[in-house]
Amino acid sequence: MRIYGKGFNFSQDGPGNRLVYHLAGCNMKCIWCSNPEGLDFSAGKDYSIEEILNECKSSRMLFFSGGGVTFTCGEATMQPDELIELLKALKLEGINTCIETNGTSNRLLEIAEYTDYLIMDFKHFDNKKHKEFTRVENKQVKANFEELSKTGRQLHIRIPLINQINAEYPEKYAEYFSLHNTDNIAFEFLSYHEYGKEKWKEEYKVKNGFITKEILKSFEDAFISKGLKLIKT
Amino acid sequence: MKNIYKSGELTKMAKALYREEREIKRLDGWFIAKETEMLNDEKYKDFSPEVKKAHLLCEVVKAMPISLSDNAVFVGTQRDAFARSYALINPSFTVEGFSGYCDPMAIFNDIEPNEEFTKERIDKVRSFTAETKMVEMLNDTYKKAENYTKEVIFFVEQVTGHVIPDFRAALKYGIDALINEASSKEGDFYEAAAVSLGTVKILIDRYLILIAEQKKTASVERKAQLEFLEKSLKNIYSNGAENLYEALQLYILLWEIMCLEQAPNPYAFSLGNADRIFEPYRKELSREDAAELFKHFLVFYNVGDRSWAISQNVIVGGRDVNGNDLSNVMSYAIMDAYFDMNLPQPILSVKLHKNTPEEMYREMGRFFFSPGVLTPSLFNDDSLFEILKNNGVDEADIPDTSIAGCQEPLIMGKDNANTTNSWLSLPKVLEMVLLNGVSAITGEKLMETDGFELNNIREAFYKTLDKVIDEMVASANGASVALSELKVPFLSSFMGGLEYGADMRDTKKQGTKYNGSGCLVHGLSVLADSFIAIDKFVEKYNDKDMLISALKNNFEGYEDLREFLLSCSKFGNNIAEVDDEAAIIANRVADMLSSKKNYLGNPFRPDFSSPSTHLTYGYWVGATPDGREARKMFGYGVDPLYGEASNGLGFRILSNMKLPFEKFNGGYASHLGIDPKYFNGVDLGEKGVQFYNNIIRPLFFNELKEGVSPFYLYVNVTTPETLRKVLANPEKYAPSGVYIMRIHGTFVNFLDLSPEIQYDIIQRLDLNSTAISC
Repeated sequence: MRIYGKGFNFSQDGPGNRLVYHLAGCNMKCIWCSNPEGLDFSAGKDYSIEEILNECKSSRMLFFSGGGVTFTCGEATMQPDELIELLKALKLEGINTCIETNGTSNRLLEIAEYTDYLIMDFKHFDNKKHKEFTRVENKQVKANFEELSKTGRQLHIRIPLINQINAEYPEKYAEYFSLHNTDNIAFEFLSYHEYGKEKWKEEYKVKNGFITKEILKSFEDAFISKGLKLIKT
Repeated sequence: MKNIYKSGELTKMAKALYREEREIKRLDGWFIAKETEMLNDEKYKDFSPEVKKAHLLCEVVKAMPISLSDNAVFVGTQRDAFARSYALINPSFTVEGFSGYCDPMAIFNDIEPNEEFTKERIDKVRSFTAETKMVEMLNDTYKKAENYTKEVIFFVEQVTGHVIPDFRAALKYGIDALINEASSKEGDFYEAAAVSLGTVKILIDRYLILIAEQKKTASVERKAQLEFLEKSLKNIYSNGAENLYEALQLYILLWEIMCLEQAPNPYAFSLGNADRIFEPYRKELSREDAAELFKHFLVFYNVGDRSWAISQNVIVGGRDVNGNDLSNVMSYAIMDAYFDMNLPQPILSVKLHKNTPEEMYREMGRFFFSPGVLTPSLFNDDSLFEILKNNGVDEADIPDTSIAGCQEPLIMGKDNANTTNSWLSLPKVLEMVLLNGVSAITGEKLMETDGFELNNIREAFYKTLDKVIDEMVASANGASVALSELKVPFLSSFMGGLEYGADMRDTKKQGTKYNGSGCLVHGLSVLADSFIAIDKFVEKYNDKDMLISALKNNFEGYEDLREFLLSCSKFGNNIAEVDDEAAIIANRVADMLSSKKNYLGNPFRPDFSSPSTHLTYGYWVGATPDGREARKMFGYGVDPLYGEASNGLGFRILSNMKLPFEKFNGGYASHLGIDPKYFNGVDLGEKGVQFYNNIIRPLFFNELKEGVSPFYLYVNVTTPETLRKVLANPEKYAPSGVYIMRIHGTFVNFLDLSPEIQYDIIQRLDLNSTAISC
C-alpha cells in the first residue's frame, strides 16, 4: 500500500482519536485541495499490509473515545485490493475502521462492507460543475450515495462550501438528498479554509473562497427544513 | 483583615512589592551569614557540631539586617540566603563554560566587592571557608574522581535544599510546643533543635521592634496594618496560626530561617501541597480574598532582580489513599493568585488523577493558552501512589508526596533523597567503550576499558557502565559525607528529627523516615538510537575501524555513512526495535542504580532527567553512532532526540509508554512543545478540557496501558516564531518585562535567560514531534 503520510488526529477523521493514513494518489484534482502533495501516486512510499497492521495493533492505546484507524486522501479507494485486505484484517483485530473518500470508486459498496465509519465527500450536485472543479464527473458519486442510502448503513456526507464554486442553491442539494433514505446519514458542511494554499507549487486557483455565516446558515436551514441530520466535527 | 485592607488593595501592594524586589541588584545577605558564622566560630568551638550550628544560626538571625517595605503585608525575606549565581538565569552562562553547580568556593566569585563588602573582607571569609572540613573533604572527593568528572562521564555534588519541610505542626501548635518537645528529650540533636527553633522568637522580636519604630511615622492606614501584623506576630510563636494571614506569616518566617541555615543557595526547597496546608486556616475568607493574600506569599518567593531563589515548588491537587480528590477552595485561590501575578517563581505543580474534577482542567486552560503566562508541571498522582508504594513508602504517607525541585517525588517532612547527588552520561560511557577510554573531544585517556566488538557492543557497554557506576557511587557518597559536616538542626526539626533524634544529614543514624540518593541519567534516546544504528551498521558494513574513524572525525569524510546512520530507526516514532531498546536500557540502568547503596545503606534512586544538562553534557561527547554530531545536545530527559521524532504526538506518546516508569522512583523529565493552533475551544476553560482530552488523558490515564503510567510532564504551548518575536521586540510582546516559559522543572522569565538557554527552549519546542492533527 502506498502511503505518503500518517499521524493521529482527534475527531475530525472519524470518531475519537484515530491513526490516519494518507494514501498516495487521487483521481480528482480539486482546485482547493488541502493535501496537493498526495495527489501524485509516486509521492508515497510502499508499506506491506503486515507492516501497517502491526503499526495499527501497536497503536491501540491511542484509539481512545471510540477511535481507530482511518484511511484518507489522496483517495483511499484507489488502492482497493490492499485496502479491503487491510480492512478485513483490522476488523479481525477488533480495530475500528474509517474511510474518507471522494465517492468515485465503483467498488465503494464492497469497501463499505468492511468499514465501520464511512465519510464521503459530495462536492457538487451539478455534474458539469463537479467536473469543472474536480476534473471528474459526479455520476458515480451519486450512484454510490443512492446505493448506500438503500442499505440503510451509517454514512457521513461532507460538503465543502466554497464561495463562487459550490455555495449556491442550498435547496437543490437538500432536495436531492431528501429524495433518498437518510435515516442513518449525517451531513456536515465544511466552510472553506486555505490550509492547502501554501502547499500548491503551481498557482492556487481559488479566489475569495471564504463563505459568509449567512451562506452557511442558508445551507443549514435548507437541510433542516428537509429533515436532514446535521453534524459538526 | 477585611477592615484593614480594602478589596484590591492587597493585590496592588503585592505588585508594587514585586516591582521593588526586581530592583534589587545585590544580594549580600548570604555573605553576612557566612561571615557571621566565621566571626563566631571560636565562641562555640566546645559545643557538639549540631549545637554549635544552632548557636551560629542564632547569631546569623541576630546579625542579619532587616527591613519592611510599606507595601509589605508580611515580614520576612529569603533574600539573605541566596547569591546571584544560578547558572541558567545568569546572563554570562555559556554551554562551553559550564562546569556544574558543585564548587563550594565558586560562590565567592559572585559577590562584587564594593565599599562595604571590600575585597579584603570577602577574601577573609573565602580563606576561612576553604579551610573548613567540609570543603576539604569535598575537594578530596572531587580530586579522586577528576578523570571521570572533567568531561562528565559522571558528576557528583553535595545536595543542599531539595527537600520538603513539614511545617504543619508548627502552624497548628506554635513553636513553643516544638521546643518543649525537643527539650523533653536528651541528646545533642534535641539540644540543637531547641536552640535553633528559638531563632523564630529572635526574628519575631526583631521585626516587632522594627514595626514599633515604623508605627511612629506611619499614616493612619499603614499604622492599622502594622498593628494587625504586630498582633499576629505576637500570637503565632506560642499559639500557632489562627487564620490564613497568620499561617502564611508563620510559614514565611520558618522558610526564611530554613534557607538562612543553608545559605548560600539552598535551592529547590518545596512547599508540598500548599492548598491542603493552608485550607484549614482559610475559614471565612472567600476564594478571592484568599487569593489576594496569597499573592504576597508568592512575592516572598521571588528574590532580587532575576528571582534567584529557583525551583521552589508549590503543589495543588492530588488524591487520598482511596482515590478521592483532595482539591479544595484554596487550590483554586492559589491558582488565581498565580495567574494574576504571573511571577517567575515559585513553581506551580498540579497533581492529577483519575478523579480530578473537570473544573481543575478548565481552570488550567488559562495558564496553558495565555501567551507568556506560567504553566504548571503535571504529575500523575495515581502512578506516584503505585511507584512509591512499590518502593517501600507507607501508603498513608503517599498523599503527602511533593516535588523537591523539578520533578523528584518525595514525601513531605519525611524523605531526604539527596536528589541531585549524582549525574550519569550514558553516551559518554559509550564513547569510552568505543574509543577505549579516550575522549573524542580532547584525546585524553580518561579511563581503562576492556576491548569490544561491534556485535557485542551492549555487553561491553554494560560492563563499563558497571565500573563507572561503582566509581560514581563512591564519589557521590563522599560528597554526602562531606556535606554532613554542615549540620541543619532547624530544617531537621521539620524532617522527622524530633522523632528520630538525628540531623537529617547524619551519615550514621538516619534522621528521616525515608532516605536515598539520586542519580540523574542522561542520554537515553542517544544510546538506544546508537545501539540500533550499530546493529544496522554491522549488517551493512561490519567494519569497526570505519565506524570508529568516522566518530573520531565527527563524520568528516564520512557523510554518506552519517546519512545511513541517521536513517536507522529512532526512538519516539513507535518503532518497536528502537523503542524496545530504550526500554531495555532504562530498565537495566535503573536496576543497576537501585542496587547501589548510599552512605546510610539505602538504594540510589534512578531519575531520568536532565535539567539543561542535556546541553552541557552533550557538549562533552563526540559524535555518536546514531549520527549525532560531536558536542550536540542529547535528548531531554526521556524524550526523543530533537528532530528525530517527526510523526506527531501520538507516535511519540506510544514510544514513551514503553518505558518502565515503575523503575523511575527518583523521577524523570519529559517536555512537549505544543502548538496552540490545535485547540479551538470557545474559551480558555474549554481549551483546558481539550488539553486534557488530547494530551493528559491518553498519556496519564490510558486504560490500555499496562503497568505504571507516565507520571510527569511539562509543556510550553507556543511556537518558535512567537518566541523569536518576543526576543526581537520584548517591549511589544512582554511589556511587563516578564514572559514566563518553562525550562525543565522550573519556570523562568524567558527574558532573564542566557541566550543559549533561550535558543534551547526555542529549538526543543520541536513541534513536528507533537503535532496533534495530521
